Order: sequence, then C-alpha cells, then structure tokens
Amino acid sequence: MALFGSFGNHDDAGSLARQAAWNEALTRGTVPAFVKERLAETMSGKRPWVTTASPAGLLAQRSHGIRPLGLVSGNCWFQFGYSWTRGHYEGWHTALDRLRLEAGLMGANAVVDVTLRVRRMPGTENEGHMDYGVMGTAVRLDALRESANPALATVSALEFARLLESGIIPVGLAIGAHYDWFVANMYQAGAAASYWNQEMAPLSSFLTRVRRQALQELRDDGVRLGSGVLAHTQHTELYRVEPDEANPYPRFLARYIALGTAILHDSRTRRPFGVRPVTSVRDPRLLAAPDTTKEVL
Amino acid sequence: MSDTVPDLPQHARERLEGLRDTSRRGGIFTSDFSVNEFLMVGEAGFEPLGLVVGSCIYHTGIQYAGWSKNQEMAVLSQAMYEARELAMTRMEQEAQSLSADGVVGVRLEVKRMDWDKDILEFLAIGTAIAHSKGHPGFKGPAGKPFTSDLSGQDLWMLLQSGYRPLALVMGSCVYHVAHQGMLQSLGNVGRNVEMPLFTQAMYDARELAMERMQQEAKEAGAEGVVAVQLHEGSHNWQPHVIEFFAIGTAVKAIEDAAVIPERLIPQIVIPVND
Repeated sequence: MALFGSFGNHDDAGSLARQAAWNEALTRGTVPAFVKERLAETMSGKRPWVTTASPAGLLAQRSHGIRPLGLVSGNCWFQFGYSWTRGHYEGWHTALDRLRLEAGLMGANAVVDVTLRVRRMPGTENEGHMDYGVMGTAVRLDALRESANPALATVSALEFARLLESGIIPVGLAIGAHYDWFVANMYQAGAAASYWNQEMAPLSSFLTRVRRQALQELRDDGVRLGSGVLAHTQHTELYRVEPDEANPYPRFLARYIALGTAILHDSRTRRPFGVRPVTSVRDPRLLAAPDTTKEVL
Repeated sequence: MSDTVPDLPQHARERLEGLRDTSRRGGIFTSDFSVNEFLMVGEAGFEPLGLVVGSCIYHTGIQYAGWSKNQEMAVLSQAMYEARELAMTRMEQEAQSLSADGVVGVRLEVKRMDWDKDILEFLAIGTAIAHSKGHPGFKGPAGKPFTSDLSGQDLWMLLQSGYRPLALVMGSCVYHVAHQGMLQSLGNVGRNVEMPLFTQAMYDARELAMERMQQEAKEAGAEGVVAVQLHEGSHNWQPHVIEFFAIGTAVKAIEDAAVIPERLIPQIVIPVND
C-alpha cells in the first residue's frame, strides 16, 4: 500500500519536532498546524468526512439536515494528587474544552456521540494520575444556529435529531463527582462481626451523603449549562481500607460519578408526537451498563 | 475465474468454485449472517457467496524508544499495519476468486501467542456477496471487491442513504509514551496538575492513527468514512507502549441513478420497552 511511506518520516528529529509542536500548541490552548490543516481540509471536502455514526445516521443527512464533518477529540492526563473529585472535574472539563476547540476549527455547530473514557498507565495505577479522554463526531445541523461554542451531546446524531424534533436542545455535558473518607469507630467496626441482622447505618448514611453531594454538583453543572440533565452514566465505588499503624480502625472510601447530556427545554413548548406501536426486528444490541461505566472510571 | 488469482491453492479454489456455482448440487453458500442480516442483504439486492478468510502470522521486529521521549514506534506501527493488510488482501483474494462484488461483516482480529510475545496472528473474516443481477457498479477500488465491516442491515441502510461501500480503511500508530523524570514526579507529589508529556503522547498517537485512516480513504477515492471506531490496545508490549487503531468503512455516493433507492424518510421510533 502507498501508505507505507508515511511511516518513514519519524526519525528522531521528526518526532522531537512533533513533540515540540504539541507542547507549544497545548500550552497556548490550541492545536499544532498539522492538525489545523487536517481539520480545515476535512471541513472543505478535500479529505473524506469521518463519522462514528452507523449508516442509519447518514439517512439523517438528507432527512434532518445533519452533515457529518469529522472525528474530534481531546484529552488531559491529570494528576489528582489530593483530590480525586477535583481531578475528575478538571480533567473532564479540560478534555471537553479541547474537543470543543477542534470542533470549532472544523466549523461544527454540534458534536454528537461524545464518549468519555479514562486511561491509566499500566504499572502506575496507584500513583494518582490518569488520562481523561473524550471523542465525538463533529457535525453541522441546519436546525441549529451558528455558534462559536458547539453543543456537545453523548447521544447519537439521530437521537439529537429526535430531541430537536421534540423542541429540546442538547447543549453540553454535565458532570458530578464526589468522594469522601469515612473512619469507623470501635463500635461501628464491631457491627460487621455481629451475629444478628442490622443495618450498617453509619455506612449507609455516609454513602448517601457522597451520592447526594455528587448529584448536587451534577445539578449545579446542569444549571450552568441549561435546564435539565439526562444522566446516562452513573458509577459508585466503595472500598474498605484495613487498619494500619496510623489508623487503628478500618476506613472506607466512597466515590460516585454521574455524567449526562444537559438539555434546554420548556415543557410548555414541548411538541407532542403520536405513538404508534411497531414490532422491531432489529437484532437487540445489549447495552452492558457495567462495561460502559468501567470505561469511564 | 482462477486466472485472476493464480496463487490460491487447489483445494481452496475447489471450495470457492463449489460455492459460487449454484447450478451444481454442491453449490451452496456459507456465511455467518444472522437471520435478519441474511434477509436484508437480499433486500439490498445482493446474495451471499461464501465465508472468506485471510490470515497472517507475523513476527514483530524490535525497537527501542528513548526513556524520556514521546515517539512513534515506527517499526511496530508498520508491523501492525502490514500484517493487517496482508490478512485483508488474502481475504480479498478469496472473494475475488468467487467473482464477488464485495465482502461484508468483515472482522479483523489480532491474537497473541502465549509462547512468543513477538508473534501475533491477524485474522480477517467476512462474507463475500455479489449483486443478484450482476450490476457492475458496486465493485471497490481498482475493480476489486469492496470490503466493509458493516452488517447486512447496515449495507441496506447505507444504500438507502445513497452511498455504497468502497473499502475497509484503517490507520495504526504504536507509540511510546515518555516516562516522567524523577525530579518532575517528586515536584508534583500531592498536587493537582496536568501531566503534559502524557497528554501530548495520547494526542499525537490518536492524531497519527486518524490521519492515516483518512488518507487511506482518500486514496480509495472515498467521500467519507462511516462507523468509525478508535481502538486502543497494548499487544503484550512494555508498559509505556500503546497502539491507537482507527477503522471504518470508506464510502462513496452511488453513481448509477438507476440503482439509487427512492428517498427514504426515516420515521423516528421510540421503543418503549428499553
């Protein structure tokens, strides 16, 4: 294949130059010239458009005026030294800002099918840093105003169209994350060893508190962006850390994160649609929720 | 038909000829289609010919990267690309000897061998199909069968939207992520900061993989690429080495007005049982 030539150009000088270009661009909050060129040529049709959508999404090109432009992405490898919550907040938001930047350079007014995932470097899982990566398909929607700030949505182009048809506008991604430590006292530590049924009430209320705090943050993020949030991904973790010299009793760490698409809607202007029963012969694709959350946490 | 692909072994040719020739008693097709898929391929105007496979067992060369440097592992990138390409080409050869118009449902798999970490098996498998009325306008680049990882349903849908598949296109980049210097790591203990070297490595590797896939689509004469997936993986390599692999189906608008389906206006359906 003719492509083999493109592997040859990565000698030491070449890779150092690329590294320098990335460093300079990301520090200045932009992308290197070679990326800008690719984005511009994709927008103008000099290079093929690219979409994560299935062919069904292409139908929407004609019927709903959704034109795919190209893949856009962003990431941020973040060390969350003292705060996992802060890491999740800043990491995701930095990555999303970068994705929005690429989308803007491509002339998109929306990015659909945005997926989020974390990545840890093998062997450094406990060092308190990971990569927050986001990716999506930049599109131009005829139904949506020109905007310097493209709308982001975790839903596909077709679902985006479905929301617009109902008078709902997806505007961005909302994130709520919270973590906290709970130190058990002697009595509470003893409860786990009892012979009778009893609720571990302090742990229940601790976990509830963490969840409530994260959902409050999700709500605040939603308020900042629009009016409502469709939270598609939620994930909780509760760890028990055994006693050591400094901590005579077991400690518990709870983490909770919720992500969703923020939407602008007004129930008074919601357009109703007729419900018609149909039998689907589509092979059901199982949405494995545990796998989905594993990819983003 | 065997003239076109002289280097297929005799038994493979016999198997493929048997599949294609429906007038013979033994002329049956094989496929890994589901029921819906089989029906929709027929609806799209195609018939299945047979399962076609291509495989390549590849020994990857050795490359060392600077400890503190972000750089592409060009030897590995090239290995991953060439081996996939060989598997694909062999699958295409089988399809060609069936006089197929294309191959749908292509799966491209990489398997590692327990007994040697430098040896990988690349497998391409899909179902060869042909237009039922022998329409010549569906072949891929250079008159070869088109290839696509789309299912039978997706093929029908693609044609409905006015496009035809050209080729499964891919871009690969194996990348070494720089190690952070000890001083820098110590300076950041307990701080909330971005780790720019790691961020940049992910950016660069992803960019190279996507750019190559797009370039391959351009060379195939495509207008666009659908159903693109970006995979990340580490095939038994050292910890700081990762692969970004972009894959999708390059498509082109259907040229022949006679076969362009009538405009289908999708009706948005909300399943109430999910």
